[in-house]
Amino acid sequence: MNALTVRATQDMPNTREKVAIRDLSFFYGENKALHNIDLTAYERQVSALIGPSGCGKSTLLRVLNRIYALYPNQRAEGEVWLDGENILDNSQDVNLLRAKVGMVFQKPTPFPMSIYENIAFGVRLYENLNRSEMDERVERALTRAALWDEVKDRLGTSALGLSGGQQQRLCIARTIAVKPEVILLDEPTSALDPISTAKVEQLIDELKRDFTIVIVTHNMQQAARVADRTAFFYLGKLIEEGPTSQMFSNPKDRRTLDYITGRFG
Amino acid sequence: MTQHIVASYEKELRELGRKIAEMGGQVERLVADSMTALLKRDVSLAEKVIIADRKVNALQHEIENAAVTMIALRQPIADDLREVISSIRVAIDLERIADHAKNTAKRTLALDGEFMAQKQLRGVEHMGEIALEQLKAVLDAYTNRDDAKALAVWRRDGEIDAIYTSLFRELLTYMMEDPRSITLCTHLLFAAKNIERIGDHAQNIAETVHYLVVGEPVVEESLLPDNLNKKFGFSR
Repeated sequence: MNALTVRATQDMPNTREKVAIRDLSFFYGENKALHNIDLTAYERQVSALIGPSGCGKSTLLRVLNRIYALYPNQRAEGEVWLDGENILDNSQDVNLLRAKVGMVFQKPTPFPMSIYENIAFGVRLYENLNRSEMDERVERALTRAALWDEVKDRLGTSALGLSGGQQQRLCIARTIAVKPEVILLDEPTSALDPISTAKVEQLIDELKRDFTIVIVTHNMQQAARVADRTAFFYLGKLIEEGPTSQMFSNPKDRRTLDYITGRFG
Repeated sequence: MTQHIVASYEKELRELGRKIAEMGGQVERLVADSMTALLKRDVSLAEKVIIADRKVNALQHEIENAAVTMIALRQPIADDLREVISSIRVAIDLERIADHAKNTAKRTLALDGEFMAQKQLRGVEHMGEIALEQLKAVLDAYTNRDDAKALAVWRRDGEIDAIYTSLFRELLTYMMEDPRSITLCTHLLFAAKNIERIGDHAQNIAETVHYLVVGEPVVEESLLPDNLNKKFGFSR
């Protein structure tokens, strides 16, 4: 094996395409928010989307589980392939899609129920489990979200009593309990303190062994820390995409450089 | 280039560049003075060089501290990070160059009172001129972010090395011809070695400038695996 192939495999430990976005445009009414995006998220890798506010990165995330379809006058053009299926196709079962593609939002969004029910609720929509199976599923999800030790003695209490960081990890646990394949994270730590942020980042590192993760973040260092690949968006266009180490050390496009080094404006 | 949004960050980066320029100027003068002292046998100038070296050391610490503080507080990335890292590297090379100038100056002190033939000095003088040119050129390249100029410096270092090798033979011949010249020639050999090392550090700085501008290390064609294999007769 020569030096070139060694480097290539290090840069790309896994090259199986999980989500392939092809020529995607998105409209809020007449307003075109995304312009002909081509982007690939690879299996069991973390892809970060960065860019200034209003650049379309959250919009793109919203397309990936078709959550935009809840609103009128919003439409997507182009193709988004998930394991060989175009999820924008009208025949796509949206509920099934959302079980496959989970999402965690900026602010923690626990349901006003017990910690246990927060996780069991979503699972019941898709699966019929008996009591012990459900107990096991809840425990495993909480353990994987690094929350089990903190809440195992108070599963019956309200999730609203948890701290912000715990609530966010609960939301991640809720997402992974339904066994998705792709997890979308929309600024998951922007409302958290540094310790909770570090815990969530550690969690992302562990979750990518099983899931494909797409994360939107305004925290440049966070993208640098957690992502395998990074994509930079500006004014609804994908400006540059590549391995994170390259994007943050030697980006090819002037606009990427200006943005990540704080020269934008 | 567009400025940073945070003005104090921009200012710190510029201040770092200014300090390197200041240090570069001081080191350049030190090298020039050490050569003059050696060639003109000027003992008091040599002593000045030895004292001035301390100021250069202090500047190096200042630059290093400023760079470390910036990394800790600003978390620079991409070309900003290269700028900060480069300043640390250039400061280290400049400090080493000043050390070599100081060592040359010490040789001048040791030679005080020794007989010295002009012809024996000529080779060392020539080396010193080229080393000084190299140092000037590479500092210009750093200030102007001029990759082409840096690469020219990088390639020219071989010239100094070649002169050093022939000077070594020449001085050896003098010593064999006339054993009374052994003390002088040995000191000159060490001075020549110091100058040769100054050339090497100028070459290092050239590599740093290239890294700063392009973001990649210098790759010498003759060091690419294929060419090495050719050179040493390996086939793949």
